[in-house]
Amino acid sequence: MNHPLKALSDSLTAPWWSHLERDEFAMPRCLDCGRWHFHPQPRCPHCGGTSVVWQQASGRGEVYSFTVVHRAPSPAFATEVPYTIGIVATEEGPHLMTRLIGIAPDAVRIGLAVRICIGPMIGDGPPLALFQPDPDRASGLACPAS
Amino acid sequence: MSSMILGARSQARIVGVGESPLGKVPDLSALQLQQAAAQAALDDAGLDWSDIDGLLTTPVRVANWAMPCGVVAEGLGIRSPRYLATLDVAGASGTAMVHQAAMVINAGQCDTVLCVAGQNLLTHSARADAVKQMAEGGWAHPQFEAPYGPLIASLYALVAQRHMHEYGTTPEQLAEVAVAMRAHASLNPLAQKRTPITVDEVVSSRMITSPLHVLDCALVSDGAAAIIVSRADRARDLRRRPVEILGQGYGFSHAYVGPYERLTATGAADSGRAAFAMAGVRPAEIDVAELYDCFTITVIVELEDLGFCAKGEGGAFVQGGRIALGGALPVTTHGGLLSACHPGLAGGMFHVIEAVRQLRGECGERQVRDARLALAHGNGGVIGIHCTLILGTD
Repeated sequence: MNHPLKALSDSLTAPWWSHLERDEFAMPRCLDCGRWHFHPQPRCPHCGGTSVVWQQASGRGEVYSFTVVHRAPSPAFATEVPYTIGIVATEEGPHLMTRLIGIAPDAVRIGLAVRICIGPMIGDGPPLALFQPDPDRASGLACPAS
Repeated sequence: MSSMILGARSQARIVGVGESPLGKVPDLSALQLQQAAAQAALDDAGLDWSDIDGLLTTPVRVANWAMPCGVVAEGLGIRSPRYLATLDVAGASGTAMVHQAAMVINAGQCDTVLCVAGQNLLTHSARADAVKQMAEGGWAHPQFEAPYGPLIASLYALVAQRHMHEYGTTPEQLAEVAVAMRAHASLNPLAQKRTPITVDEVVSSRMITSPLHVLDCALVSDGAAAIIVSRADRARDLRRRPVEILGQGYGFSHAYVGPYERLTATGAADSGRAAFAMAGVRPAEIDVAELYDCFTITVIVELEDLGFCAKGEGGAFVQGGRIALGGALPVTTHGGLLSACHPGLAGGMFHVIEAVRQLRGECGERQVRDARLALAHGNGGVIGIHCTLILGTD
């Protein structure tokens, strides 16, 4: 698959995209200290180790913070406003920015249980790591992006 | 080992400050704005272009300068500098430039260093373009953050939302910061926005990215700033009372905000601790604090992390005009990025300029009485990088 975001990728970040293409949510994990991190870095931010592998993660987490965007940063997002950008604290530890879907912007709360939903955010766009309310821990929802 | 490490007094003094016309200045390019600011600082100091033997500047967004310090040196006719460099620590560049100029002086490399930066950011692009350019400027990680569609303001909104969750900070408390900055700008003839505003007006202004309204966000401006740092023995013979850097510190926590796990705690705690320790003073002794104010939440976390109040109490601290002139701690008395001027990386230089003028007693209607100790603070990235200066007069 070729898309503009994948074209930005390099040897450090390419596994993120190749996992998403396989419908997998993976993050780097250090074999020296066992801890996960994100974004990918040349050295483990926890212990400085360089034996880092990508492992599939649970895809579960909770909303650490969020913002509802009312003014699009560029014309590409103009038809989507308002939308909710979140930071999710994953079960494995790392925090990551994402789009929160399957929930009205004014219903989002910090602490909301969420789970991964891999799919395009716009039309035929590339698969992204989106998050939605967790059907096991909240009201059940189909993944709107798949 | 340098004498500075042994505790000898710094020989560097701020001897001149100045700015170009600010706000909307459609008839001047970035280089012309910088020339105007540098000339104003030279006039302020009583120096001539030929006295400048060092140059520090920052990158600009409006022009494709591969080598900004070279472009500026050539444009301003600084023909044989003994030191020149382009500095970029994002929003902390304003305070960091002045500190690094002082290091160059104390190293004996130069006698007089010109710090100058600025651009016609407002005129260069329609506001929509400026927002788009900034959104694509790399503040959000191009692969892991930008695809989800954040504005720069969204990245700060994430901090604000978390701060509200952890500490009960309210939109009205955020608005108090904008109100104080506008009140200060109303007393600053150079400021871009001078009409006073109320808390109600801020919280009912257009929502940009919750919880931040348009009046919680900085301006986009045309303008340039210049600060001249020279040696104490030369400073004695110049026009203005010299201002000394009594302490400085840096703090860094993260390049990108998404992975940062302590969203309400900033590197200002480190930069402030180092600056206060070096100066040998406490936060309560500061007469005026020129804090970087790209968004209202920025000022609240800086007040906490610099030690002006306890963590989580920044919202209460700014209420009731306590950071306005006449309050317990006047903050950002020129009106800041929120109401006076924000032309990009030069924005934080105006905070240093205002601190210098407060210490010299030149601020007229907005003068803080008997201001002897001033703090100037720069914040860069998304609360990720910080440089604090504590300034005093001889």
